[in-house]
Amino acid sequence: MADTLLKAKAIIKEFGAPVPTRVLHGIDLSIECGEFCALIGNSGSGKSTLLNIIGALDRPSGGQVFIEGIDLAGLTDDELAFFRNQTMGFIFQFHFLLPQFTVLENVLIPHLIYRGKADKSARDRAMYLLEQVGLLHRRDYKANSISGGEQQRAAIARALMNQPRLILADEPTGNLDSKNSAHIFNLMRKINQENQTTFLIVTHDRNMAFSADRIIELKDGLIVRDECVCGQDPNQMLAVIEPLY
Amino acid sequence: MISSIRFELELALRFLTENRGQTTLILLGITIGVAVMVFLSALIDGLQADLIDKTVGSSPHIIVTRQAQEPLQLPEGSSHTGLFPLQLQRSGNRPIVEWQALTTAMRHDSQLSAVLPVLDGAAIIRRGSVSKSVALRGMALAEADPIYHISDSIIAGSPKMEPGSLLIGSELASELDLRPGDTVMLEIIGQDPISQLVGGIFDLGVQNLNKRWVIIDRTRAASLLGMQDRVTEIEMQVNDIFSASDLAQRWAERLPGYEVVSWQESNASLLSALKSQSNSSYTIQFFVLLAVTLGVSSVLAISAVQKSKQIGILKAIGIRTASVERVFMLQGGILGTVGSIGGTILGTAMAQIFIFMASSDQQFALLLKPATVAIIVALTLLSAILAAYLPARQVARTNPVEVIRNG
Repeated sequence: MADTLLKAKAIIKEFGAPVPTRVLHGIDLSIECGEFCALIGNSGSGKSTLLNIIGALDRPSGGQVFIEGIDLAGLTDDELAFFRNQTMGFIFQFHFLLPQFTVLENVLIPHLIYRGKADKSARDRAMYLLEQVGLLHRRDYKANSISGGEQQRAAIARALMNQPRLILADEPTGNLDSKNSAHIFNLMRKINQENQTTFLIVTHDRNMAFSADRIIELKDGLIVRDECVCGQDPNQMLAVIEPLY
Repeated sequence: MISSIRFELELALRFLTENRGQTTLILLGITIGVAVMVFLSALIDGLQADLIDKTVGSSPHIIVTRQAQEPLQLPEGSSHTGLFPLQLQRSGNRPIVEWQALTTAMRHDSQLSAVLPVLDGAAIIRRGSVSKSVALRGMALAEADPIYHISDSIIAGSPKMEPGSLLIGSELASELDLRPGDTVMLEIIGQDPISQLVGGIFDLGVQNLNKRWVIIDRTRAASLLGMQDRVTEIEMQVNDIFSASDLAQRWAERLPGYEVVSWQESNASLLSALKSQSNSSYTIQFFVLLAVTLGVSSVLAISAVQKSKQIGILKAIGIRTASVERVFMLQGGILGTVGSIGGTILGTAMAQIFIFMASSDQQFALLLKPATVAIIVALTLLSAILAAYLPARQVARTNPVEVIRNG
């Protein structure tokens, strides 16, 4: 049995004052090392909010998040920043590469933030990752001079730089055409399988959801479905989920 | 910490070079601002140094007398602008008997550059039917030269004061039509007139001195005035001209019963005029600095808004809030440094051009004090970094969640 990477207990999140709106109504969730999970749900269901809390970008109003046994509530903001840097990788709908830096430098940034300088092993890793995402030939291009699909692939390489245990992706292909989407998805799947990196992906893309190991569905701030899809017939699953969308 | 600053510096530089137009404009602004401050300082400092040198450069900075408690009296006909050397402002003094002990002590004071015991007396110079009232000043040439530069001011004859000869001023010489080698009659009140030779004619650059002073050797003055071995005052110059009033204060405490007056006390209105001039220059410089600060602040505030998405992602990736703050403070610091260097060069160049263009009538030289430049540079740097502080705080608080949500 694999180790538990992430454990969320009774997560509550409220926004706004003085009359708070409750977005998450007590989420319990546990993710094992190496799992490839899709987080789905209507817009407004709270899936991005949950992803941000799990990703230590936001603090819950109630409940606890443990990652590798560490209670995130016990960390200061600076400690959380370092924790994110070391433990997690983020892939967003928008790549947010820094246009002032080259593709290679962008991939190195998670390393540079705390190290200042890239030594040979860091450069080797960045080059290896660029090769993995098929961008080695673009490494010295400025980040804003490559195509959208390439930028998203560079963002994936960046997310992998510090060898994170958990990759959080918020609609990683939301901005891409189907060909590029498939490319990105396959890339993430490959990384998952080769390195046992855990993925939690927020997506609207049904095909992507059904290609995951596990689908977690959120509705009105509660988990309404959490099942393993591996080995099941996607068409059958599609029929189950379809009415919701 | 050190290593993260390396990345922060890199980021600051990339941010600045990305917005080339913006960066160039604000650098130009800082450069011009600093240049104006440097030039203005050089101008005002030069003007004031020149004015002070003209006023007290060749006159005593401190005068010690034994005086009855009377207020200082300005010479007749003088205006009240205060632009008068100290030596014109004396009235009858009581003799100082222990002057040798005093001057020995004063010569041991390393802050004093010259000590000159003087025996003063009133006399009348007569040639034919024309007579002039003069101030007879008994002093040793070697002691007087450091203050009055008499030897260098001789325009005719010789500075040597041999027995039977005296030095007179150029005004007096022309009034009495005297040349070196001529004979005059010297009358001291209550004594018989004696015949004296004009040994040399001096021009001290001050009309009143050239008209009134007759200089003879101190020991001869003592015998002529019947004063034995006494002097009436001790004149001093100091190394740091602005320390004169403090030094005078100190000597006044050491010498009860003596009156010790510094040039500052007798030139109060000149000093107050210089102070007002400095203050107006500081006011201008303050507002230039303020404009520079506001410029830096607004440019960085705009940059902060433009970069908010990148900052958001950097924070998601794990950059600390304080790091982001430093990235913007560093931008302020870089702008301040480059602008100050440019401004100092431009300001100095402006000063040099000014000197070159004004050299025809040599009114005064600009004075570029390294300390002043250092203060301007330091203040500009500090202002630029402080100017960056608000945008830095604002952008450092960017919530990555907001950025990610809104794209």
